[in-house]
Amino acid sequence: MNDKILLSVNGLSKHFGGLAAVQNVSFSIRQGEIVSLIGPNGAGKTTVFNLLSGVFSPSAGTINLDGEDITGKRPFEVCQKGVGRTFQIMQPFPQMTVLENIITSSLFGRVPKISLSQAEEEAVELCKLVGLGDKQNTFPRNLTTPGQKRIEIARALAVKPKLLLLDEVMSGLTPTETIEAIKLVRSLRDKGTTVFLIEHVMKVVMGISDRVIVVHHGEKIAEGTCAEVANDPKVIKAYLGEHAEDTKESMC
Amino acid sequence: MNRLISGKSFIVLIVLAVVLIFFYPRVMDSYFLHLTIAIFLAMILASSWDILARTGQVSVGQAGLFGIGAYASALLYQWIHLPPVLGILAGGILAVILAVGIGYLTLRLRGIYFSITTIAFAEALAVIWLMIPDITGGAMGVSTPPLFGGNRILAYYLILAILALVIMTVWLIEKSRLNFAFTAIRQNEDVANVMGINPTRYKVLAFMISAFFTGLAGGFYSHYNTYIIPYEVFGLNVSIACLVMPIFGGLYTILGPVIGTILVKVIEEFLRVTVPYGHQIAYGLILVVVVLFMPDGLIGLWKKRIKPLFLKKSSVG
Repeated sequence: MNDKILLSVNGLSKHFGGLAAVQNVSFSIRQGEIVSLIGPNGAGKTTVFNLLSGVFSPSAGTINLDGEDITGKRPFEVCQKGVGRTFQIMQPFPQMTVLENIITSSLFGRVPKISLSQAEEEAVELCKLVGLGDKQNTFPRNLTTPGQKRIEIARALAVKPKLLLLDEVMSGLTPTETIEAIKLVRSLRDKGTTVFLIEHVMKVVMGISDRVIVVHHGEKIAEGTCAEVANDPKVIKAYLGEHAEDTKESMC
Repeated sequence: MNRLISGKSFIVLIVLAVVLIFFYPRVMDSYFLHLTIAIFLAMILASSWDILARTGQVSVGQAGLFGIGAYASALLYQWIHLPPVLGILAGGILAVILAVGIGYLTLRLRGIYFSITTIAFAEALAVIWLMIPDITGGAMGVSTPPLFGGNRILAYYLILAILALVIMTVWLIEKSRLNFAFTAIRQNEDVANVMGINPTRYKVLAFMISAFFTGLAGGFYSHYNTYIIPYEVFGLNVSIACLVMPIFGGLYTILGPVIGTILVKVIEEFLRVTVPYGHQIAYGLILVVVVLFMPDGLIGLWKKRIKPLFLKKSSVG
């Protein structure tokens, strides 16, 4: 890990009518870090991802990626700047095969553009990497939930992202699959990808993250290493709820 | 996704080309040649509508582009005696320019807005055409001398050439990265966007390609028919025909619009001589039947129901 700041977010806010889904959130992520974004349901985690990937444009605040201001850029521009993301609710293209789904991402998310044959080669490699090597030519509807999540990850990786946003890719996986997924994320980081993930499975968060950012009611309430965050009284109160002591035990 | 054309289909293509170029126009009488020209013209409209449909956009105003093409080439002939072939090309180009304008204004919007705008666009053009009769000829229309001095075989070759160009374009789209962009946008625009595809850009591009060929078809029609009036070339009938044929045949395929057109046109021709306005009833019936019972059109019906019957033996094991 080095000290170069890859992503820096300043005073980020998003209002939907009167509702502040995200309020004055600031943080930064260094290159090569694995950072988790956690918080109770409805805390605004996915909204943060939607702001980072350009799906929503922020009501206030700035987003800076690798020294470049990407605030208010449209999703395809953000993607081409090097942000790959997955969706919490899997959204593969239903009438494309697994391979075609991934090729599409390789073809358009990359700068400079690559040829169709090169995209196909890379997509085949990615299929193997995420464990879909034998499912290349099936359609997404024939895959299980974890299978479809693998498509999501492969599509996000196909753009060769500097910053990878993973939105709950591990929920719904069996323990063995989770271990595989954690291995995958670690190996991605070792290859230089910075990973920012939303996760509910505490075992994953604690096992994988260099740092954790906690949001609650759209505001950032804590940030730090796993141990720091787990012992933060605000986090325990807001996030872990009444049975804080028990949960804390099981967390670390 | 195999990229090269297979040997078998290459042979079929050569045979088809030889038949269509050398034999067909010689053995057909004038009536059948005329019918064939009408069918080819309709195939061009159907295939170009399908190009845009691949991005998930439903145009109900292809008549606007068709009419612009028709009027451009007819009026250019009237004003400066521009040769018909160049006039037809001008019609195509003008249609593209209009498509860019409308596209950038409306293709940013989702869903039904584009469809509504296209209807309004075609209807508005018809009204504008009636409002400035000094320039457009108004309700009286515009007439031009017969194409190629009335030589139907030459007219047949011209429309065959345009049709071949359309089919080739569709084939090239299917084999290129455009196919991925179009399909992705059609299936989920938001996800396509996050994956680096600029949806507006590709939708406008598809609309431009579609407009070009529809404009060419319009230009050909005006010279071939020798006479055009606003309510015919800008009419809703044209727009509906453009979408019924590919939907009937099978969307997002090369052959679907082609086969759909042949069947619709044959039904239409048969009804035209037996039932007044029968073809319009047929359009409605076809749409209902297709939407209810065969959403993938004739091509889908073939792939899902009929082809398996032949393959039964080999598909076991």
